[in-house]
Amino acid sequence: MSSNQFTVASPPTDAISALKFSPDPNSTRIVVSSWDKNVYLYDLRDENGTVGEGKLLQKFEHRAPVLDVCFGDNENEIYTAGLDWDVRKIDLNTSEQTVLSSHEAGVRNVVYSPEHKLIISGSWDSTLHVHRPDAGTNSAPAIIPLPSKPFSISLTATKLVVAMASRSLHIYDLKALALLTAQADSESLDGNKVEIEPWQRRESSLKFMTRCVACMPDDAGYASSSIEGRVAVEWFDPSPESQARKYAFKCHRQTAEDGVDVVYPVNALAFHPVHGTFASGGGDGVVALWDGIAKRRIRQYQKYPSSVAAVGFSGNGKYLAIGVSPGFEDGQDDVPEGVVKIFVRELGETEAKGKGAK
Amino acid sequence: MGKKRRGPSLDELMARPWCYYCERDFDDLKILTLHQKAKHFKCDKCGRRLNTAGGLSVHMSQVHKEQLTEIENALPNRAGLDVEIFGMEGVPEDVLLAHQQRVAAQFHQAEAERQAATGNPPAGSGMGGQPAKKPKLEDMSEMKRRLAEHRAKKAEAGTGGSSREATPASSGPTAPPAPQFVPKADNAYGQTPAASAPVPPQQYSYPQPYGGAPAAPYQQVASPVYQTFSPASGQQFPGAAPYPPAGYPPQMPAYPPTPGYGASPFPQQPTSTESTPPPRPGSIPAPSGLPQRPHFGAPAVNAQQMQQMHMGHAVPPAQGHGNGDANQTTGQVISSVNDLISGAAKDAAEKPTKKEKSKATRMIYLHDTISPEEKMSQLPRYAVARPQFPEHTVLGNGPDAAVVGTIRDSDTVLDPAH
Repeated sequence: MSSNQFTVASPPTDAISALKFSPDPNSTRIVVSSWDKNVYLYDLRDENGTVGEGKLLQKFEHRAPVLDVCFGDNENEIYTAGLDWDVRKIDLNTSEQTVLSSHEAGVRNVVYSPEHKLIISGSWDSTLHVHRPDAGTNSAPAIIPLPSKPFSISLTATKLVVAMASRSLHIYDLKALALLTAQADSESLDGNKVEIEPWQRRESSLKFMTRCVACMPDDAGYASSSIEGRVAVEWFDPSPESQARKYAFKCHRQTAEDGVDVVYPVNALAFHPVHGTFASGGGDGVVALWDGIAKRRIRQYQKYPSSVAAVGFSGNGKYLAIGVSPGFEDGQDDVPEGVVKIFVRELGETEAKGKGAK
Repeated sequence: MGKKRRGPSLDELMARPWCYYCERDFDDLKILTLHQKAKHFKCDKCGRRLNTAGGLSVHMSQVHKEQLTEIENALPNRAGLDVEIFGMEGVPEDVLLAHQQRVAAQFHQAEAERQAATGNPPAGSGMGGQPAKKPKLEDMSEMKRRLAEHRAKKAEAGTGGSSREATPASSGPTAPPAPQFVPKADNAYGQTPAASAPVPPQQYSYPQPYGGAPAAPYQQVASPVYQTFSPASGQQFPGAAPYPPAGYPPQMPAYPPTPGYGASPFPQQPTSTESTPPPRPGSIPAPSGLPQRPHFGAPAVNAQQMQQMHMGHAVPPAQGHGNGDANQTTGQVISSVNDLISGAAKDAAEKPTKKEKSKATRMIYLHDTISPEEKMSQLPRYAVARPQFPEHTVLGNGPDAAVVGTIRDSDTVLDPAH
């Protein structure tokens, strides 16, 4: 049904790096970060409160391409991370930008934990920076060294999952993290390095580079995807029974005419906040919904015109936003006009609901 | 290599289910019904998909208190609610017939166009027992004109024996099919008239029967052959004759004409020498008593090897001469038979590999440590106005080497698997 899908007006002019809905269930705000150095704020509702085209509310220019964005404590503050090595806080009402910290390389991810009031950013300088906004703006972040470059981070109410190069994966306990960083903060004002042992160290169950991780909303586990068209679903619980439940499956592949399977990276994963199912978006331009528990695909949407860079569910799970931009992985020289798009799907009540086991 | 299938045959086209409302055709009935539910029987109020127009009408009136007046997305004259359609069921007879006619017409037209554009034989030719779908027939006068032209050219060149002269003359009145082999294959002419004489009516009628006139397969087989090989000397013929059967072994039953067929090329070979008398033009295509070259080619061989064989034949310069030539060819054929055998063995050995290959994958992005974003960030257009991060830190991950090792391992595991 194409009738309940629309494209958002005035999309970014270059590839999309991240797309997030406001976690507020009643909000229809989306922030989108782009390689065109801007962060875009959209609202799907127009003045009358009806959901239509979606309109651009604001645009925040950065010095360099922006690689990630997330909402903060409320839907009027966002955090951004980008190639200018900075992590910024942006107040949407005043458009005021504050640099929270600077990494020593591009910052790939930024996430906010509302439970612990922590902003965590992951950079290619192989560190995590942990900021505590309530500790005052002058406090420097705690720096957690990582064994490799982080590629994707995701968190639940209690855990932080960091997927890194070399297929390594750390799971941190957010509570411990919060305590330690607070301690470090009070001890030395420049908030230096904090050696913290991750709660779990794991090796990715996928053979190739991890592309994305996303945690289940019920705090039970996470899904990770690789550049080799595969998604793995794992559980936090270290008991053998839970670990035995983990599995991986192939997706986002196409058989070329010569019979060779063309394998696309799975760029994006997002869990549905209500049903606990998840969406995957691949370099093939396909978005699929999966039931991670029943191990079944719920549906697959018609192919989008180019690679899917980001997917996200709205806070109430009624909308699925899909950021489409071309040539994400082949480093194409030009992004032609009009190929970067944000699609928003209005989901039917059961559209993203698992069907139950076979 | 087997001939590439260019497109569906008319039968297949005819058998495709299609949508009454919009005339689109589909791979199978299931997809058609899905299409109808999505395009024509979907409620525009709530998106519910019904199975039939009647169902939608009831739904609209009961749920939305509205009257369904026409089917969405339908052709103007098909939007009515009077017919109850489900999949292919309920399509009125006359509409069905009209559709079939249209499909057939389109098919023939496309066929003709492609033939005109590419000069290729009709689809399905070379598939042996299948008569021409719709051979392109030359108009008689055009035929004669070209014939005359051709003869003039021949005369000018001073080649060609008397027998050849006679050949076209007799063939003139009948219409050989594919024009593209007319100029070269004068010899085929000799055969064609007799062979194709009974055929024309059949060529016009629509071509289901494959068993039919043995002549038809011959013609068709001939044309690709000529097409493929005519640029070389006449020498290719011995090889050429077996070629189609080889490529299409399932056709063996269609062989009756083969002897004549196999023979026909032979005379062409000694073009310059008159040592071997060519078959009398216009004679019935009974097998001539000539050596049965096709036998050499009979083993099922893949086309590539066939071609190799042909090349082998074509290369030696001393080929215009009757007996010597025959010996030489025999020698070559023996060697090529050997090739074939070893080739077949190789093929057999390769088969599992091919299967393995079908599992082969091609990755869009493959790197161990540099994520797509990081690679992208190194593009000049994203250069940031601050000191670039030093290279060594970017690459300086100790454990990477181990990972590289693992990945390579997994690759090598795949390889010897065959």
